[in-house]
Amino acid sequence: MDCKTAAPMLHAYLDGELDRAAVDEIEEHLERCEQCARELASLQALRNVIREGATRHAAPASLRAQLQAIGAVPEPASGQVSDRILQKRPTNSATVPRWALAASLLMAFSFGIASMKWFAIESVATTNRQAVDRELLSSHLRALAAASPVDVVSTDRHTVKPWFAGKIGQSPPVVDLAADGFPLVGGRIDYVTNQRVAVLVYGHGQHLIDVYLLPATADDLQDMPRVLQGYRLAAIRVQEQPMWIVGDIDEQEFARFKNLLTAGVSR
Amino acid sequence: MNMGRSTPPDVGLVRDLTLPHLDAAYNLARWLMGSEQDAADLVHTAFLRAARYIHTYAGGNAKAWWLSIVRNCCIATLASRSRRDVSLDGLAEDEPAQWPQANAATVEDTVHLSQCAALIVHHLEALPREFREVLVLREVEDCSYREIADILAVPVGTVMSRLARSRALLKKLLIENSVDAGTHGL
Repeated sequence: MDCKTAAPMLHAYLDGELDRAAVDEIEEHLERCEQCARELASLQALRNVIREGATRHAAPASLRAQLQAIGAVPEPASGQVSDRILQKRPTNSATVPRWALAASLLMAFSFGIASMKWFAIESVATTNRQAVDRELLSSHLRALAAASPVDVVSTDRHTVKPWFAGKIGQSPPVVDLAADGFPLVGGRIDYVTNQRVAVLVYGHGQHLIDVYLLPATADDLQDMPRVLQGYRLAAIRVQEQPMWIVGDIDEQEFARFKNLLTAGVSR
Repeated sequence: MNMGRSTPPDVGLVRDLTLPHLDAAYNLARWLMGSEQDAADLVHTAFLRAARYIHTYAGGNAKAWWLSIVRNCCIATLASRSRRDVSLDGLAEDEPAQWPQANAATVEDTVHLSQCAALIVHHLEALPREFREVLVLREVEDCSYREIADILAVPVGTVMSRLARSRALLKKLLIENSVDAGTHGL
């Protein structure tokens, strides 16, 4: 790789957006090229300055309360709900006749679609879950098909944890289940539901089991294991941390692994 | 979905999708609008809009969906306030040749940069919106390229080139300022 190729990639490298092969290439180049190494250091310094100096403004409690109040309207007729939701903030007072007209139109509209909405929401939730299932399964299959299913090879959880901490700033709970027949194989970073997630990889005989640590906001978790193309998927939530297990081991062993993991993490 | 019976379905879902990312939304609005009151108003407006257009949420990344609504609301308001707000969208930035030159970073640059934390807010706020928002999303919100692409409704390649240009511009501003002010103490 020469500087011309490397220069634009430095940003993606800094941002952790390169795949492993590209990372290897650019790191090799950085070792040889002082110019690019300096540029990277300069970008890193800029990042530090931005992250240090640029404030992350937190939403004021009053705004959160306002929005929460909108959702907490007690059991009304659906028309009234829409009135309430679509009402402007008190600071933006609108002229009354226009507002009333708009409200009555909205009322009529919302009565019309009120019954449809329930179905729509159910199906959004189901579709989400299925989409996540599919993403997890394809990630699992991709990993199985790849040269190595892990980015860091280690049977030692004390190696895996800091590796994740260094890569994604998150140190997942890693449980040692070797004594139970599920030795840790390693870990990798994967890209699921549009974000980078930590994946712990356990072995069981010839099988590999992936444990995905999804961000805690994924709230449509179902405890029920599902089977997709012969692979089992199950979600668990331990100490508010949702985890997805994907593997092709049989039902009993799968359940055993799930229980061991749950017990191990909460210990 | 976790919805109480007393919560109307649409608002409950909107709340589930948006409130976990309320700080992100407010922060983005605050950086785009430049004032706290505007930011709160715009997030409120965006929430109502999200409730009305909940059917456009097709699963996937709720944060990106929600932040794109917030951003659209902010931009619409900014545009209606001022026609002087010149858009840079027309500038050709997808051309590969548009990568900023790696203009010979020096060790001194890096030293200067590390002393600029106090100036950063000033310079970020002075950047054109297109550059400011991409930096805020990447560095302050820690969004991935894919998320930024979804929020800005542009290809990932554009995110990459815009990010590179933004950094080059900000770096230039900081270094020039640092040199002018003679704040480097080495």
